[in-house]
Amino acid sequence: MTKAAGKASRATKSREVILDILFEVLERDGFVHGSLRMALEKYQYLEKPDRAFITRVAEGTVENLLAIDEVLGRCSSIPVGKMKPVVRTVLRMSVYQILWMDRVPDSAVCNEAVKLVQGRRLGGLGGFVNGVLRGIARRKEEFLFEDWPLRYSMPRWLIEMWQEQYPKKTVEGMLQAFLEDTPTAVRCNLSRASMEEIRESLEGQQVKVTPSPLSPQVLLLEGYDYLERLEAFCRGWILVQDAASALVADAAGLQPGSVVLDVCGAPGGKGLHMADRLKGTGLVVVRDLTEEKISLAEENIARARLDNIKAEVWDAREFDGRWQEKADVVIADLPCSGLGVIGKKPDIKYRVSRERIDSLVLLQRQILAVAARYVKPGGTLVYSTCTISYQENEGQREWFLKNFPFTPENIAGRMGTAVKEESMKDGYVQLLPGRYPCDGFFIAVFRKESE
Amino acid sequence: MAIRQVRTIGDDILRKECKPVKELNRRTRQLIEDMFETMYEANGVGLAAPQVGILKQIVVIDVEDGNQYVLINPEILEEKGSRTEAEGCLSIPGKHGIVTRPAYVKVRAWDEEMQEYELEGEELLARAICHECAHLRGELYVDVMEGELMDNEEEGDKE
Repeated sequence: MTKAAGKASRATKSREVILDILFEVLERDGFVHGSLRMALEKYQYLEKPDRAFITRVAEGTVENLLAIDEVLGRCSSIPVGKMKPVVRTVLRMSVYQILWMDRVPDSAVCNEAVKLVQGRRLGGLGGFVNGVLRGIARRKEEFLFEDWPLRYSMPRWLIEMWQEQYPKKTVEGMLQAFLEDTPTAVRCNLSRASMEEIRESLEGQQVKVTPSPLSPQVLLLEGYDYLERLEAFCRGWILVQDAASALVADAAGLQPGSVVLDVCGAPGGKGLHMADRLKGTGLVVVRDLTEEKISLAEENIARARLDNIKAEVWDAREFDGRWQEKADVVIADLPCSGLGVIGKKPDIKYRVSRERIDSLVLLQRQILAVAARYVKPGGTLVYSTCTISYQENEGQREWFLKNFPFTPENIAGRMGTAVKEESMKDGYVQLLPGRYPCDGFFIAVFRKESE
Repeated sequence: MAIRQVRTIGDDILRKECKPVKELNRRTRQLIEDMFETMYEANGVGLAAPQVGILKQIVVIDVEDGNQYVLINPEILEEKGSRTEAEGCLSIPGKHGIVTRPAYVKVRAWDEEMQEYELEGEELLARAICHECAHLRGELYVDVMEGELMDNEEEGDKE
């Protein structure tokens, strides 16, 4: 075995990794979040700056794909759709670096791109890649787009769908927020440590910690390397959970001793939050469709070391007679189009379609109809999604009220002082990125009529 | 002592199974000496006997941890974890590829005195043990690498 092999130029190595990730996402329909996490786990020996670079370019390229392809289309003699997949991917990631990353010199980007295609036995296309990229580097100022689909790389139909519901300014605020970098939100497990202890531990490991303005139990973390290596994580003091999702526990109106059933609850973030709130009383049962998901929830439960929560496999579409009218609170955080988390998972915006939303609406209805039967008379059902679409959210709420013996629960004031929306007295709230510092998220709370 | 010729990929001998060493004679001792010398000369961290054209189960390793390991008739007992990194081979000059290997291995082998011993290795040592033991089975890293074979950088070209 040779000595220097492990020391192949780091700049080239990082770009190799990025090329593999993006190829998987853009040519094989993979998920950027998952591919990135797997790659970073695998290449642990890469140094922190290299891994930050990989993350930035992989996410940035997907985030700005529509604009990138427009630029490529204008500057290449071969249409983007007709390029060889490897060349297309190399060009896309390089355009991102040229137009969005000032600290990487354009000449370096071009050279590395040529090396990448050569390394993949496409050396003959080195000249083409070099020519296209140098041309783009020269014409940079031409590529300041005004048209929203290009400026924010958002499919036009999604922008139009949101404009039907929200004022132009609100929509633009959302589009901007999706492209901004957001720190990682973690929710603190106060059954194991106090907020002060948790902060001290994190800051002791050089993590920049800011409290979330939305939820007192949520902290925003920046500047850490591996979350899994933080003491607070290993001890079960923190769990990744967006502030918006942490509001579900606030909205649910838990009482000591409440029995909670979360029908699509893996990996257990909301369930653990509620178990923590119940301070050892009551019981939270987290269910999900697959062993795989449930084992994730079980890991999180084991780390949090809470006794009043358990996880089990159950298909939410199937009615389970044992739970008929047994739950004080049923949480139905259902599969959705995920438009609220585009900021974190940018590939979602190219993946969603109207047909996909239509089929999700049917699935949500099927699950809601089952979940409604688990609620005790006088008990609560919380319906939530991490999306921003009328059909899946407000529309679904209206459908539910019309068809089931539930009334809207007034949730005004339940989410502290930070979230105040007129709609809360009618039992629901749509959180929009840009307006609130969190994911796009919808929460509706219903109370089952007593006999 | 002599520097021996390193066989390169395409040479059938690299693809053959090696025979266990039954006894350590003068010629075998000379072979081990030569293997170290050949490895150092080529700037390697490990070399297996078939790479110098001898189909015997002998491996030498020096990962610059202060030891010169000689593994005769090695047998891997345990593997744990995984590490994915670039790897190169004296028999595939100027190239490297990405290979996933265990992060830890335990191996049983004979030393130069034909005394049985166990060696535990992590990271680079683990990688070298796996890489060299594979040679004894006629396997090369290109058989298990992920993605394409890549060219090594020129010396001094760091960015």
